[in-house]
Amino acid sequence: MTLAIALVVLAALSLIFILRITVSRSLQVSGESGLAEKIQPIDVEAFRNLVDPAEDDYLRRRLSPRQFRRVRRERLRAIGAYVHVAGQNAALLVRIGTSALEGGDPLIAEAANRLVNDALLLRRNATYAILRIYVTRALPALDLPASAVLNSYERITASAMLLGRLQNPAVPVRIAALH
Amino acid sequence: MLQAHSILWHYLWVAPNVFLLVLAMVLWQRGLHRQYLAFFLFAIWGGLAQLTLYAADVIPSVSPDTFWHVLWSGLLIEAVLKFAVIGELFSGIFGPYPSLAKLGKILIRGVGVSLVLAAALAAAFSPVSNSHRLIWGPHLLEQTIYIIESGLLLFFFLFSAYFRLRADRIALGICLGLAISSCTHLATWAVAANNSSRAVSVRLDFLNMATYHACVLIWFYYLLVPQKVANKSAVPIPEHNLEIWNRELERFLQP
Repeated sequence: MTLAIALVVLAALSLIFILRITVSRSLQVSGESGLAEKIQPIDVEAFRNLVDPAEDDYLRRRLSPRQFRRVRRERLRAIGAYVHVAGQNAALLVRIGTSALEGGDPLIAEAANRLVNDALLLRRNATYAILRIYVTRALPALDLPASAVLNSYERITASAMLLGRLQNPAVPVRIAALH
Repeated sequence: MLQAHSILWHYLWVAPNVFLLVLAMVLWQRGLHRQYLAFFLFAIWGGLAQLTLYAADVIPSVSPDTFWHVLWSGLLIEAVLKFAVIGELFSGIFGPYPSLAKLGKILIRGVGVSLVLAAALAAAFSPVSNSHRLIWGPHLLEQTIYIIESGLLLFFFLFSAYFRLRADRIALGICLGLAISSCTHLATWAVAANNSSRAVSVRLDFLNMATYHACVLIWFYYLLVPQKVANKSAVPIPEHNLEIWNRELERFLQP
């Protein structure tokens, strides 16, 4: 009987999750007009410095092991914050791209498809990177593979710009902050 | 009212399966059977198999053993078709995006294997609810199928939600109907497989049949009622006039 109760509870929870996701996705569809405003600009150069292995080597040489570990933890926390925002931006860009896919213009659809694909790649890489950041914070000796996120982010920025330009040729756009 | 062979019982067994066959015809007429081939085959097989089973139940000359054998074979083929439908839905939503297709395949295989193991364990620990192997066997088989099916569907919803991908309207309807059906059936079969009371079994049968009827109506709704077309303007992307990104764009556009 314990097994039956466990299965009933699991089935009920699964159904609740599925219905909740379906309802929330339906509500999202009706509120997609202000998505672009939710994208948070990212300082790519600052992020690039944070993930630069040469910077880590320099700090390792200049600081005592204890100081280096503390600084590295701080830097990992900062990298995690950047990657988290990049992942959220990617999710928003997937929604923007899929909305644009529904239009009839083949040129826009092609750009939107590229944007969605790149944004999905970034979201995937950001997820990997977040996991690796947790592991690296636990085991600081490991190297951090954040360059994949950086490369993906630069690529989807270009894709988003292309889509934005195709939809609204008069307005130059970007999604990453610059110095 | 909630008795076996009552009018409601006959209606709930026959009507959804007739509707399912009509649904298959609608899919055919609209040319959607190529896009949703597995679901089309599932609709035809599901409808015909259940109507055959119904006939086997009400025709007095059909022996109980024959009835249970028909149930067994129908169940096995239906399970294969359901997993084909889920695979079709997966490839429909993730297939167009190479960046996610490979990860999706790896994860779905991993989740599938884990669910098969979990379902086998659940079956191994389930008590025998009936002395006849032909009767408790299908109960356990259904429980096993529904554990795997609802797990895969839950994974489908979670994975697509995480990546913010939307299935098209018909695929969403198919998924939703299958999910409601499989979760409800899992709960009822788990109770049925652990309960030998005849009255409880009949009530659970009614619940299953009513849920299945509702799911067929959900599939009809998503197939026949067109999606509301929102008045969409071009999706605005935040404006930041920085020349370096425009130079990047030009370089990107160059062959």
